[in-house]
Amino acid sequence: MTEKQLDEVLEELGREHRAIDAPESLERVLYAAAESRKSAIAKPRTQFPWAWAAVAILLAVVTTGGIIWRSRQTHQPQTQQAHSLPAPNVSPGPLHSSPVTASQIVAPKAEPVPRAVNARAPLHHPSPPQAPTSSSLDAFVPLPASEGLPTAAELSIVRMRLRGSDLQQYGLQTPADALAQTMLAEFAVGEDGLPRAIRIVR
Amino acid sequence: MFERLGRKSLESELTDEQLHRSALAGRGEAIAALYKRHGGLVYRFTLRMSGNASIAEEITQEVFLALLTQIDRFDAARGSMSTWLCGIARRKLWKHLEHSKDALFDFEEHTAAELVCVNEGPAELLLRQEAIAAVRAGMDELPPLLREVMILCALEEMSYEQVAGILAVPVGTVRSRLHRAKARLAGLLRTEMADTEGERR
Repeated sequence: MTEKQLDEVLEELGREHRAIDAPESLERVLYAAAESRKSAIAKPRTQFPWAWAAVAILLAVVTTGGIIWRSRQTHQPQTQQAHSLPAPNVSPGPLHSSPVTASQIVAPKAEPVPRAVNARAPLHHPSPPQAPTSSSLDAFVPLPASEGLPTAAELSIVRMRLRGSDLQQYGLQTPADALAQTMLAEFAVGEDGLPRAIRIVR
Repeated sequence: MFERLGRKSLESELTDEQLHRSALAGRGEAIAALYKRHGGLVYRFTLRMSGNASIAEEITQEVFLALLTQIDRFDAARGSMSTWLCGIARRKLWKHLEHSKDALFDFEEHTAAELVCVNEGPAELLLRQEAIAAVRAGMDELPPLLREVMILCALEEMSYEQVAGILAVPVGTVRSRLHRAKARLAGLLRTEMADTEGERR
């Protein structure tokens, strides 16, 4: 057999060979396999909504908690800041003295006690300095003279009557029309006898 | 009917890659369409190589199931899907041949296509049939490495590049193997013809 004859026979054999088709039974098997894969893919997808719902609930809880916490923070009494003339070394003369604890000052009073008066919180005088006027002394404000003093563990309230011009002695600004007025003020005095804060009662 | 129409359009319009993605998404029609396109090649190759229809069927099924699980490995830029599938089939086949050395050859039932040559007389037709049977038998005698090249190049009429892709060898190797296969086959046929003539005398 020559090479040409062999090629011819191979060509013939090739035609015969290519006439063979793949068995149809396999098509059905593969179809079923692919479909089962579809259901396998679909299963995790159906589980996703539950997972997402759980995540959403968790996020909602965290967000709500955050909002509540923030609103509580904003409703806490703000520290009033007093300042900032040089304070004379003058102590108020007591009219009436009653020893109380720091907690007593904070809790039962109708008017909020400034945090600076709290025994645990040190007094501070942040910038920018703006001297409080007598009209802004409805609540306790730290005295400039108390700057640098150690934190008082126990405070006493000392009530005294004084003139508006006397406030300047404690480093506080007084409006011109109030200079001549007499007013009743309360001083928060530490256990060392030094005043820490002041409040105008009347 | 709609399903049939859907199948037809799937088979004809979509590319192998698109069908591949559809099959991965779990569309039975897509894998069926891919099987219709390439199943024949894989089955014929495994059948001719193993000589056993059930082995060929088993390997073909494995190849297409692998298509469902290893779909990410197919890269259209590196070669056609038929090449890729044939490569998988070949690896599975070689593994199988390693385990069972005695491959059976019972695919005569699949090669019953009638030879129709109207210009030839009965004697010529008989001679041709004998020649084809001799070549077929000679191919089965070839070592697997040469046989697979003969099947893919001579019977499937694939290009050298395609066959090189399937066998994972350089094109030059394909050429030399094909040359060796044909030479070996011609030698086998000469011997057989000489034996037949001797018997006739």
